[in-house]
Amino acid sequence: MMILTATPHMAVWGKWLGDALGTNAAGASAGNALFGIFLSLIVYLIGQWLFKIGKGFFLFQPLFVGMVLGIFILYLMARAFGTDTATFYKSAYLPGGNIIFWFLNPATIAFAIPLYRRNDVVKRFWLEIVLALIIGLVISLFIIYYAAKLFGLDKVGIASMLPQAATTAIAMPIATAIGGNAAVTAMACILNAVIIYALGDWLVKFFRINNDPIGAGLGLGTAGHTVGSAKALQLGSIQGSMASIAVVIISIVVDIVVPPFATMMGLR
Amino acid sequence: MAANKDVEKVDLAEEKPASPILIQMGIFAAILFVSSLISPLFPASFPVPTPVIGLVILYALLASHIVKLRNVEKFGDFMISLIAFLFVPSGIQLAASLDILKTQGVQIVVVVLIATIVLLVVVAYTAAFLIRIRKNVFHRNVDVDDD
Repeated sequence: MMILTATPHMAVWGKWLGDALGTNAAGASAGNALFGIFLSLIVYLIGQWLFKIGKGFFLFQPLFVGMVLGIFILYLMARAFGTDTATFYKSAYLPGGNIIFWFLNPATIAFAIPLYRRNDVVKRFWLEIVLALIIGLVISLFIIYYAAKLFGLDKVGIASMLPQAATTAIAMPIATAIGGNAAVTAMACILNAVIIYALGDWLVKFFRINNDPIGAGLGLGTAGHTVGSAKALQLGSIQGSMASIAVVIISIVVDIVVPPFATMMGLR
Repeated sequence: MAANKDVEKVDLAEEKPASPILIQMGIFAAILFVSSLISPLFPASFPVPTPVIGLVILYALLASHIVKLRNVEKFGDFMISLIAFLFVPSGIQLAASLDILKTQGVQIVVVVLIATIVLLVVVAYTAAFLIRIRKNVFHRNVDVDDD
């Protein structure tokens, strides 16, 4: 509020803006939800526009641009209001952000539709699907564990890295249970989606993953959660169906496999 | 292959128009509501969140033909087309944990980047390997019609 209350005239504006953003009363009140919705839309649309004029340059993917630009705008506004970014985020952005966030519930359920459209593949390959996810996750856990150790993460950091293949709502409690930091795990899950969204096409091409459409779908669903499933749908109906089933099954596999793995590695 | 024909037959045989969008939303809302009642029944050591249960319920309803594709397709495909935008608040959520990034930030981001690539490649190759075993060891047909 420091800058905005510089003059009496500004104080009126400051109160008006502060009411809308929920930063008055020491940031305790819930602000106007419209700000969060509006900011999300604007930064995403800017991302779409950049992606179009940048001829599909991977760093201009709308989700990535939206995230970086959104955080940067919140950071600048927090400084202008004289609070820290986290507080400003909670009071000004979160009410609107939560409304958009809620719609991830029906959007996740909707992935049953591409899954059912290729029910023929699910019925024929269910054993390979389940086995690939279990074996693939166990191998990945070892690599992730040693990679985290190599980069000097402490025990809490390593434990936070292990459950990230599951959907956020499953990964967070498991991270806490094995001695990790749930906030770091949530961050990992979000970054998974952003990374797959930005680099997915390139990675699929580089590792020639699409040679096997079932493998491509399972990999994208595991690594990129529902965003990976949307990416997989662009490759084809089999990939989309496999990614949708991977999101569900990998979450349950993480539920079962990660706690004993953490015990085995002496993390708890 | 036969199952695929079944699915197609179901779609083609009923040339009834898609359900009104409010009905479609109502089906999603009902599934979400039931899922939110089931989710807390799981123990804290084995969490299964609401949307994951909802996905399984909708799949089961579609597979048992209780709900037809035309009842949910329009709204469902619309929601899926929005998924990247719906993730924007999750991305911006990182604004609340910028202080975690300050201490171990670079290492964490690098490890997550590695983990993402490892999960994608290892799972994809494992699946391709298992399917090759099915083809070469058990001599089963593994052709799927792509589109």
